[in-house]
Amino acid sequence: MEFTTEPVGDDTVIVRGDGRLNMVSGPVLRETVTKCIATGRPRVVVDMSRIQFMDSSGLGALISCLKSAREASGELRIVAPSSQVSMVLKLSKVDSILAPYDTVEAASGAEQ
Amino acid sequence: MTEERKSLVFSSPPDDVDAVHEFLETVWAQNPGVSEFERMAFETALIELASNVIQHAAGVTGVTCVLSVTADENGLAATLADTADEGGIVLLDREMPDELSESGRGIALIQALVDELNYERVDERNVWTITRAREEPGEG
Repeated sequence: MEFTTEPVGDDTVIVRGDGRLNMVSGPVLRETVTKCIATGRPRVVVDMSRIQFMDSSGLGALISCLKSAREASGELRIVAPSSQVSMVLKLSKVDSILAPYDTVEAASGAEQ
Repeated sequence: MTEERKSLVFSSPPDDVDAVHEFLETVWAQNPGVSEFERMAFETALIELASNVIQHAAGVTGVTCVLSVTADENGLAATLADTADEGGIVLLDREMPDELSESGRGIALIQALVDELNYERVDERNVWTITRAREEPGEG
């Protein structure tokens, strides 16, 4: 799976993927987000609306990205997770650090 | 009895968990009575199991797996037999790790999603079994 990136404002980027977030695509997400942070966009919005499935490897990649963003004084927010992704977030007890936003606009525009 | 048993043989490399997803799609297509939630829970558990097996065999000589899935009125069951060495994966009752941890959730997730997770060593194979009882209508 490939991820696309869309810069918004001065320091935000929207990352979109289409497929399954797992041990194969997780490292690709990590690499994509690392590049965005390195180019001065530590506020990362991951649009999950086309991620049909996520496993614990994919979740690990998301958390790694979240930590990288925070280390660069930014944040990572997720948007519109599927019911399967929401189930994994809840069972993994990470829904507090990865609270989903309904829309990309809400995630990228809301106050930190 | 409307038991339906299907099998898949895959080797990693080059196969990965996508082979398991595609196989499950055929299982679901033949078992329309399995609810969306049941599919989601069972698929998540099975993918975690397959990922663990593939990941632990990576960098050694690879692994070949035989997966069979049964869907009947009692629920869903899967057996995964792999050729990896014994003892690569430790099956203890796992607590979910710290929320900022990047790994260590797979077994805990499986345990949260299925009724049984068993392991035995049979004829130089690791044999993993997961079962999830069918929920009665109105339950859960």
